[in-house]
Amino acid sequence: MRHLMLSAAGLALMAGAAKADDLTLQLKWVTQAQFAGYYVAQDQGFYEEEGVNVTILPGGPDIAPTQVLAGGGADVVVEWMPAALAARERGLPLVNIAQPFKSSGMMLTCLAETGITDPATDFAGKTLGVWFSGNEYPFLSWMNTLGLSTEGGPEGVTVLKQGFNVDPLLQKQAACISTMTYNEYGQVLDAGLTEDDLITFKYEDQGVATLEDGLYVLESTLEDSEKVTSLVRFVRASMRGWEWAAENPEEAARIVLENDETGAQTLEHQTRMMSEIALLLEGSDGTLDEADYQRTVDILLAGGSDPVISAAPEGAWVSTITDRAFD
Amino acid sequence: MSALPLLGVWLGGWALNIWLARFDTRATRALVAVIFGATIVILWEMAVRIYAIPTVILPAPSQIADSFVANRSILWTDFVQTILRGALTGWVIGALAAILTAIAIDRSPFLQRGLLPIGNFVAALPIVGIAPILVMWFGFDWQSKAAVVVVMVFFPILVNMVAGLKATDPMQRDLMASWAAPYGASLWKLRLPAAMPFLFNGLKITTTLALIGAIVAEFFGSPTRGMGFRISTAVGRLDLPLVWAEIVVAALAGTLFYGLVALIEKKVTFWHPSQRT
Repeated sequence: MRHLMLSAAGLALMAGAAKADDLTLQLKWVTQAQFAGYYVAQDQGFYEEEGVNVTILPGGPDIAPTQVLAGGGADVVVEWMPAALAARERGLPLVNIAQPFKSSGMMLTCLAETGITDPATDFAGKTLGVWFSGNEYPFLSWMNTLGLSTEGGPEGVTVLKQGFNVDPLLQKQAACISTMTYNEYGQVLDAGLTEDDLITFKYEDQGVATLEDGLYVLESTLEDSEKVTSLVRFVRASMRGWEWAAENPEEAARIVLENDETGAQTLEHQTRMMSEIALLLEGSDGTLDEADYQRTVDILLAGGSDPVISAAPEGAWVSTITDRAFD
Repeated sequence: MSALPLLGVWLGGWALNIWLARFDTRATRALVAVIFGATIVILWEMAVRIYAIPTVILPAPSQIADSFVANRSILWTDFVQTILRGALTGWVIGALAAILTAIAIDRSPFLQRGLLPIGNFVAALPIVGIAPILVMWFGFDWQSKAAVVVVMVFFPILVNMVAGLKATDPMQRDLMASWAAPYGASLWKLRLPAAMPFLFNGLKITTTLALIGAIVAEFFGSPTRGMGFRISTAVGRLDLPLVWAEIVVAALAGTLFYGLVALIEKKVTFWHPSQRT
């Protein structure tokens, strides 16, 4: 309740004086170690030192960050590049300003008993669990590159809209389900299956990895020079937060827990998540690597009948923010 | 200033309706409602254009209509999956089960004391709680959606039917008894017809519940078709006109479904005072 009162008071203050150094960040998913860097930067006062006042809004199953951005509910969103580029093609001019995550944590986890060993030959006729709400694009691109239809039948794959748990695999309703290295894979193991029962296909290993968890703003935000300065400070402080979180996974998990108002997360789970996330951060200082961007675009364009994006995007990322933040 | 045209249209529609209200014929009564609806749609379209509201927030009716026409095959597939297979199957099974249970309860006070509280308990379970469980039991396809609908419609129909079976006068029951009518005959000839107005109340209420149940149940895992699936995923793809087109289909289907049940009621309970116009 006190939390609520405080945030209500905070909102009232913000409404009274929306200044350029006030930034609202909309997360892609619920409060968890996947976003530890931002919570750490706030908790350790990195944002304060930079003079930016950041409000972090957790996401959830029915929150599409791109929609929140379009509606003016946030200045910056954490989003996966496929969804961001698809939104861009639909007329919502999203721009990537920083890319803290170097690698993708996405994979398909399959039951070994299904006999799947090679995606290219063994997926046909199987049922696969996939997340939607903008997270289906990497999967659809992968199936396109394999030349598999997602309409079912013996030659294609049957797609299940996966909920937010790993039950379809445990119930054997699906041969494989989507999992993140840092989250759902652990849930499958927690449910009593061993690594020997499972076979996993990481998007990274299959060469179909797309960039995840980048920071995106609307083009119009970049025309406001004061906002740009705030964004530079925000990105610099956030990357400090990420470094700190990668070095101190347990403390970072604790900070995440303190910020989790749902009370659904446990320290053990969050610490494990943080260690896995740290692996995805390796090799990125927050600057988008153009080769990674190009690979993501190529994968998304490489679609048979139904590519995720139909043309190479123009101006979908800028290096100006990270250049100023890290020079 | 830009609100002036909106205000003008609103006042114009209002004035027209006030003038029409003087003529109390069947045609004008229908026209008044049509004009009201049309005014709302026109105002919506104007507001979206005047204030340049982004499509992601609220698409204009014209965009929704375009999407409706362009996606007819998708909408039809979803309609069959959700309304015909999920909602209608579940509604029929739930209604039959509720009617039979009501007759059993009416026959035996023992069952009445046991079954009604259980029915009440099941009805109080939140759909978001039971939907994932039923998906686990009955699989991802429409069977689990129908199961959710059965759970949702069962209790309202049961309560109405139980009340309906009690709706005869002692005088009427005594008359049946004095003709030595067995239980079956008095049920079939007197008490079931007397229960019909109550039963149809329950059936009408649950038409909308069935639609809601079938659509919401699809949020918790579904094959890649169905109205609930499309509504929840098209939002993620920022295809809001398609979402609204689905909402239009749901509204039309709901109205039609209710209308059909009301029509059958008119035919079945023509003798009841409430049906006199």
